[in-house]
Amino acid sequence: MLDRLITPSGMTRRHFMGHMATTAMALPAMQLLSAMNAQAQTGKKTNKSLILLWMGGGPSHMDTWDLKPESEKNGGEFKPIQTSAPGVMISEHLPMVAQQMKHLNIVRSLNSKEGNHDRGTYMMHTGYAPNPTVVHPSFGSVLSYELGDKLGKEFALPHAIAINGPGEGPGFLGMTHAPFMVQNPTAPIANLLPPAGVDDDRMNRRLRMLALAENSFGAQKRGQGAADHKAVYEKTVKMMSGPYTKAFKLDDEPAALRDKYGRNSFGQGCLMARRLVEAGVTYVEVSLGGWDMHADIFNALSKNKLPELDKGMGSLVEDLAQRGLLDNTMVVWMGEFGRTPRINQNGGRDHWPRSWSVVMGGGGMKGGQVVGKTDKDGVEVVDREVGVMDLVASMTKGMGINLSTEYTTPRGRPLKIVDGAQPISELF
Amino acid sequence: MKATSRRLAPSRGLWTLTAILGLAVAATAMAAGPDDSAKAKTKAKKDVAAVAKTSYIDEMLQDSWKSSKVKSSPLSADAEFLRRVYLDLCGRIPNVQEATAFLEMKDSGKRAKLVEYLLAHPDFAKNFGNEWSIILVGRKPAGRDVDKGALSSWLRKQITANRPWNEMAYELITAKGSNKDNGAVNYPMSHLEDGAVNLTSFTTRIFLGQQIQCTQCHDHPSNNWKQADFWSINAFFKGVKSERVMKTDAVGAEVYDHTELSDEPSNAYSKYEKRNAVVGIAFPTYLDGTKISQNADVDRREVLGKFITEKDQKQLARAFVNRVWGRLFGRGIVHTVDDFGDHNKPSHPELLEKMAEDFIASKFDVKNLYRTIMASQAYQLTSAMLKENEKDETLFSHQSLKPMTPEQLFDSLLTATSAHKAAGGNFDQIRNQWLGQFTVTFANDEEGENSNFQGTIPQALMMMNGDLMSKATGGKAGSFLHDTLDKSRAQRKPALFIVNRLYLAALGRYPNSKELNNASAFLEMNPDSIGVLEDLFWSLLNCNEFVLNH
Repeated sequence: MLDRLITPSGMTRRHFMGHMATTAMALPAMQLLSAMNAQAQTGKKTNKSLILLWMGGGPSHMDTWDLKPESEKNGGEFKPIQTSAPGVMISEHLPMVAQQMKHLNIVRSLNSKEGNHDRGTYMMHTGYAPNPTVVHPSFGSVLSYELGDKLGKEFALPHAIAINGPGEGPGFLGMTHAPFMVQNPTAPIANLLPPAGVDDDRMNRRLRMLALAENSFGAQKRGQGAADHKAVYEKTVKMMSGPYTKAFKLDDEPAALRDKYGRNSFGQGCLMARRLVEAGVTYVEVSLGGWDMHADIFNALSKNKLPELDKGMGSLVEDLAQRGLLDNTMVVWMGEFGRTPRINQNGGRDHWPRSWSVVMGGGGMKGGQVVGKTDKDGVEVVDREVGVMDLVASMTKGMGINLSTEYTTPRGRPLKIVDGAQPISELF
Repeated sequence: MKATSRRLAPSRGLWTLTAILGLAVAATAMAAGPDDSAKAKTKAKKDVAAVAKTSYIDEMLQDSWKSSKVKSSPLSADAEFLRRVYLDLCGRIPNVQEATAFLEMKDSGKRAKLVEYLLAHPDFAKNFGNEWSIILVGRKPAGRDVDKGALSSWLRKQITANRPWNEMAYELITAKGSNKDNGAVNYPMSHLEDGAVNLTSFTTRIFLGQQIQCTQCHDHPSNNWKQADFWSINAFFKGVKSERVMKTDAVGAEVYDHTELSDEPSNAYSKYEKRNAVVGIAFPTYLDGTKISQNADVDRREVLGKFITEKDQKQLARAFVNRVWGRLFGRGIVHTVDDFGDHNKPSHPELLEKMAEDFIASKFDVKNLYRTIMASQAYQLTSAMLKENEKDETLFSHQSLKPMTPEQLFDSLLTATSAHKAAGGNFDQIRNQWLGQFTVTFANDEEGENSNFQGTIPQALMMMNGDLMSKATGGKAGSFLHDTLDKSRAQRKPALFIVNRLYLAALGRYPNSKELNNASAFLEMNPDSIGVLEDLFWSLLNCNEFVLNH
């Protein structure tokens, strides 16, 4: 598979990188991943990755992972079904995911406290509530910083990639760790090649001139913005010139597999996530939006949202497992909050951060576990309350990062990536 | 390549270029000349003496620097100030003529004069209209009932007439009638869905800097807002009605003409669901507890408008001052700029109070507020930091790097390159399409928007390889580069004259001697001089100095 990804065909147009070694902006990229190559041959992925399936708008946990069919007032319309994990039941509208539950775990007792979209999105991506004095890095950017950079300078893809949505920013880690956004997984990456008429020599000359300009402004102590700009351009040039970008090309996949994932932006995004992880990308976020269902929730879920989720997520976990990628790839499903157990007067559910569910598996975790419990109406956590930082701790452990890792913010304050929390022990 | 220290006399490279362009290498080669570094230094010193005296803004900031043991950066040089003021007031960089006019001017009061000139410039009014229509309505495409153009042009007219902010605010909150004739109508019009829930939260957030949207569903966890407060404000908007008005077109068909907004006299109360599923009823009550008639005998939006702009004028002033401060310094005194409250304290409370009082005393004079801030030394500091203040992000001891907004970037690219003249096609369409790349809209009930495209790889790809850039630097007729080459050829100007113009166009300054040397070296080493100049222009438009408002 990876052999195809890094085949040098089509390189003539891009071979300006060959000359780049002599320029200030340059990084030699052609010897590329011998490491990755080896990885491809053994079929074993050696670096750790995380795929976040982001459910923007706030997904209803009561209709997906924590059904309460016995609750007269809150139960809703859906029935639970058995899964491949003994005793674990999930929604009838997630049959493909149900087959993969032996690889996945449900945390049913999350209390995340933030019930506003922006604040919840920030909290679930960073582990912290928004704070006016510091912009926290999102977990994807932390992974890019901690693990991505270890892949070496030759690795020519962004370490954090967000498909169908922007993801959350890098905070003080700097723009080189910002997620690279793929707006549409089925379209080519925009502006990837220089315009016609600008050949390799021209491009090299442009980059040499650019390096001079960048360095002269950067030398004036203008702060992180100026340094970031240069670093992002370096990454961009590296990406333009490398055959790595084949990882974005879904055309190389068999049509039947593409159908299985679902011919929609989420399904194709999941497939792209698998290709990217296979190529060595550390963090991939795939967004599926539209969960803010204040009205008519059961129709919206059963007709559209859940089938789309089911195909994409079910196929992804199956595919990763079959390719032996799941041991080193963690898959996490979450949104900014859950939805009210109570069904409102418009047949919808509202924002609910107090007792909801997230799903995580792979990356060295056990599978088929359920952590925590809510009461019979889904309102209160009755067993093992979990906080957002506990999730961050679990992801940190799963990804093999030291739990006591600490940064110094630009204002000189220490900031821990895991603050006062422990990994969820049942998962390891 | 390594910078050489060759002298500036026309070199062989320039002769080559001359041959190609048919340019004369005159003895006046450097007539349009850049400062060499010594000259630039004395000039910078003179600038420093030239700016306004310290104001209370500076005194209050200096106190905070002293107590935090932070040293402030020196004042910016003229070119840095020039570019910043154009971006902050007009939303674009200066063009070559504007830049040279200011840089060449020998007048100790020229900075204040420039600010004054720009406050009266049509581009200031245009930019005010664009910025505020984004704040009021957003970047995303609005529906058929919202005429964004009419809103921008209404704002533009108000600021041109220097209408006080409290009056503009009142008119936006209470606007009625045709959304075509009265552009202000488009503000309430764009947030009417779901019983004006968003109009409720936008109105308190934009005009008062108070975010009550969380209390739509529950009492606020960290300040005093209760769920009932949200719905009591919402009740002021009960009775707002919109209606599409049709007209008969030339061939006799009924077509949409405009939307009419009115306030139907009705009994006003909002119904909402409490956490315990009990339905709550809220009557129109202002945030301070003042109740008003809920009967059909009052125009409730007018009462709300008065409450916000008269009763609460101090907070109205604080919110506006803080927003303008945030634009000009890259960070509000309260940060984020529209989230006031005990959970989010101002960095310089006395300064904010004083400025708000001043703003009220000036009768909410918007231009005067800009004038006051821009005359301060603090605003005029350089963004280059010192060892003694490089850790400071909240005390304004140096100017900050502000990434250009998408609109500033587009308009600045066009100012520098005239790419639109080379592009052909529908200009508005090109602009909208281009700006569309920057906006991600979240489909949720907060209508959130994100434009964190700035500084990312996709933006770098667009700047390096995008269509607009290739039109700007591809030597197409109509573009700045093409016309500059043409003109220079006709007037038999030397090549370094063109290099100078490229720096002025992109960066609003002359190249320094090192940069000129580098340009000569490239010209000398490469026979395709036009290509070299195109590439130089490309590199200036792509560099950090261009894309940052510094």
